[in-house]
Amino acid sequence: MQIGLYVHIPFCRQKCFYCDFASAAGTVLLQQAYVKALCREIEQAGKQYAGESIHTVYIGGGTPTALPETLLQEILEKLQHSFVLSEVVEFTVEANPGTVTKEKLMLLKTLGVNRLSFGVQSFDDGLLKKIGRIHTSDDALAAIAEARAAGFSNISMDLMYGLPGQTMEMLQESVKTALSQKVEHISIYGLQIEEQTEFFRRQERGELDLPSDELVDAMYEYMTKALPAAGYGRYEISNFARDGFMSRHNMSYWQDKAYIGLGASAHSYYGNERFFNVAETSDYINRLMAGESPAEVEEESTRDILMEEFCFLALRTSQGIDTVAFLQKFGCGIDSVYGSKLSRLQKKGLIVQNQQYLNLTELGMKYGNVVFAEFILEK
Amino acid sequence: MQTKNIRNFSIIAHIDHGKSTIADRLIEYTGTLSKREMEAQVLDSMDLERERGITIKAQTVRLDYQGADGQMYELNLIDTPGHVDFTYEVSRSLAACEGALLVVDAAQGVEAQTLANVYMALENELEIIPVINKIDLPSAEPEMVKKEIEDVIGLDTSDAVMASAKSGIGIKEILDKVVEKVPSPAGDPEKPLKALIFDSNFDSYKGVIAHIRVIDGCIKPGMTLKMMATGKSFEVTDIGCFRPAPVIMPELYAGQVGFIAGSLKNVKDVRVGDTVTNAEAPAAEALPGYRGVNPMVYCGLYPIDSADYDNLKDALEKLQLNDAALMFEPETSTALGFGYRCGFLGLLHMDVIQERLEREYNLKLITTAPSVIYHVYKTNGEMIKIDNPSNLPPTTEIDHIDEPYVKATVIVPNDYVGAVMEISQEKRGEFKNMDYLDVNRVMITYYIPLNEIIYDYFDRLKSSTRGYASLDYELVDYRQSKLVKLDVLLNGEAVDALSTIVHIDRAAMRGRQLAAKLKGIIPQQMFEIPIQAAIGNKVIARETVRAMRKDVLAKCYGGDISRKRKLLEKQKEGKKRMKSVGSVEVPQEAFMAILKID
Repeated sequence: MQIGLYVHIPFCRQKCFYCDFASAAGTVLLQQAYVKALCREIEQAGKQYAGESIHTVYIGGGTPTALPETLLQEILEKLQHSFVLSEVVEFTVEANPGTVTKEKLMLLKTLGVNRLSFGVQSFDDGLLKKIGRIHTSDDALAAIAEARAAGFSNISMDLMYGLPGQTMEMLQESVKTALSQKVEHISIYGLQIEEQTEFFRRQERGELDLPSDELVDAMYEYMTKALPAAGYGRYEISNFARDGFMSRHNMSYWQDKAYIGLGASAHSYYGNERFFNVAETSDYINRLMAGESPAEVEEESTRDILMEEFCFLALRTSQGIDTVAFLQKFGCGIDSVYGSKLSRLQKKGLIVQNQQYLNLTELGMKYGNVVFAEFILEK
Repeated sequence: MQTKNIRNFSIIAHIDHGKSTIADRLIEYTGTLSKREMEAQVLDSMDLERERGITIKAQTVRLDYQGADGQMYELNLIDTPGHVDFTYEVSRSLAACEGALLVVDAAQGVEAQTLANVYMALENELEIIPVINKIDLPSAEPEMVKKEIEDVIGLDTSDAVMASAKSGIGIKEILDKVVEKVPSPAGDPEKPLKALIFDSNFDSYKGVIAHIRVIDGCIKPGMTLKMMATGKSFEVTDIGCFRPAPVIMPELYAGQVGFIAGSLKNVKDVRVGDTVTNAEAPAAEALPGYRGVNPMVYCGLYPIDSADYDNLKDALEKLQLNDAALMFEPETSTALGFGYRCGFLGLLHMDVIQERLEREYNLKLITTAPSVIYHVYKTNGEMIKIDNPSNLPPTTEIDHIDEPYVKATVIVPNDYVGAVMEISQEKRGEFKNMDYLDVNRVMITYYIPLNEIIYDYFDRLKSSTRGYASLDYELVDYRQSKLVKLDVLLNGEAVDALSTIVHIDRAAMRGRQLAAKLKGIIPQQMFEIPIQAAIGNKVIARETVRAMRKDVLAKCYGGDISRKRKLLEKQKEGKKRMKSVGSVEVPQEAFMAILKID
């Protein structure tokens, strides 16, 4: 079986105002302790999943590049020693443009990394500062140039829209700059205000100047048209890539493929079970150092849950739900489970059938959650 | 027991004035049930009844009581349904009695509903015993209430019982007064059998059980009996009385109250008000006062999930077993699919049935706005009765329409007379009369179209009189009115279930208000939805529900699927009660929106 490997680095120089993910600045000592624990988990997982062929590796965060070179090297070498990585087709590391150096990039390249994902978000310095990013527009351009110089031929960047104070002109300008960089892959994320973020607190106090719903919708429309027009195909709701450059690791999330998550708060899907590690960095370290499993117990995935997830995850991709694969996996046709809902969604123009696949239409993508919620079965 | 030692009585009271509590105390005091048994078995048995403080089904109980003279008496308490919708049932319960307790709250005074029932009791020549209840409340004014009863009803209250059922005060006095004042039954056990059916219930083993008062003659097991109105004959197998659980007895004779059961399977054969006689030696004529059941209010009930259609039918059939007044027949709506058109005695009856269907049968329903029965006179001379606005013929075929009018009696403190008159005028009411009940309280009578009453008349009456107004109404006649059908179009398509019949002078305003109200109720969807109100082909109001904003979950943090699932589950929860009408998802409350405007 081909599986994906995810490694989580819960450190950032500074927490962005919109982020509620497991990450914190962290002292060097804490980072060292974490990497020690992580390496222990990598080693154990290497034994546990010894028979598996690793297809993709993704180191995300947080900010993996916030770690000093020595620690990054320790992790990468531990991965090399614990798993067979010879069949890896895609090895991604997430990077913050403010934390990369020529040396770090060279090191990653040497240790097998072949794809970089830069959290650029915007090319507007005022806006970057406003959302708590530590880098400038120039930092981003420089980071991409250095990555190219280090030999990376597969680079992705994230862009955000719907940010406080963002205008349509600002967004168009950022998209223009992004396109000029000719990267291979672009992800677009609309701002969501999550609890326990700086933005949430500001919104509660009425201090957040969010763009109107109409403007956010217009931004979405603009990006979902401008990127394909520039040669980036929309292969998933938020992801656009030039031919041959879609992220194989991220696709495994949507295509019902197995993946193993390592590190604090990392999620796994293996043998039709979903499980995840404890979220707090200190808990994670303590557990591993005490020789305990970092995994939290999660309720078992029932057949219903598996069917629901099979569908709403696959619908995110341009390929859509493979009805033949559904039949093979569950031993019953998708019509027998969702028949009336499927025809209603088709009638409303939210999904279409193309041979054995069911896809979201353009309208369906815009209202993805409404469609996905239809696939949740009655309890 | 000799007939002279039997007393049959009921209790007349307004909601909340303490009828159930008094009944409970009487049962307790006479030792019919112990306190512990009481808790498990009380007169108002349905949850719904207890919550709303009303009695929907009348219940009966036999009490044994040793009177002040040392003799044993058989007291039959016949409970009456306590709402305006069940007037006919109340009248039959009263017809089974020789006396009634008039229970009035010492702090509230006489209410319109009580008054209507007292007049009914007087028409039935019942001996009325005034009971002033809740005398231990700090706000109690028993003397004023006594005077009010004298002024308004003309009853002598000099020996009214002062009671507090809650504290157990006055219970013995009530029992003694019943023995002393209520006449014993006058019937003759030797005459041909005549028994009045005043209620019925369904038992899954015994079938339909008829609750009866024997007027003349005697019933024994094995007799073949006949219903004089429905013509149904059957053999009696069980005879008994309620204490309050059913207890089998060898016979029931003139003057007694109890139940009979036999080969009766269909509740429709056992009509309240019908006379039971001996099939072999029938009485010459039936007891007076029988009336068929006439629903006054109709609405459509549709399952949200069309797969529930058969379950809805089953549930309605089961409810009908105990409720002969509930009518239903299949109906199809282009907007809502297959459902039932149901007829009710009134709004409360409708409410209660809906709630029971949802609670006891776990059905999720869409209810259309209630309608009255219109008499539509066509140009070809034919008259048709319409209880569903969407069945109204085209205007070109209509000569004129008659609508039902009721006599509405409202009692309020005099400060609110202006408010009541204003609302009643607005509701097309025709002023009839106004009387002072005492220095503070006024009884106002209007003739008002029933169509307006079922809109929000009572709600508005309550809110503009700070809850003081009490209302009673009865059908008086049909009158010609200028009525039109107001249609609603969603996204260009007419939604039959949203059509209503309104007076032409109000149509334009109602249309605007309804469109605006619907705009607030129909959630934003994936496209813009025009809402139009139209009369015939003429659009009189238009609103637009704008398209909702985009709704996608962007980032998937390192394969965290459970978080996504939770959000989707929440999203699904939020939209349960919606019905797809064409391409538009319409929440349940939209179909009742017409009632909530003004």
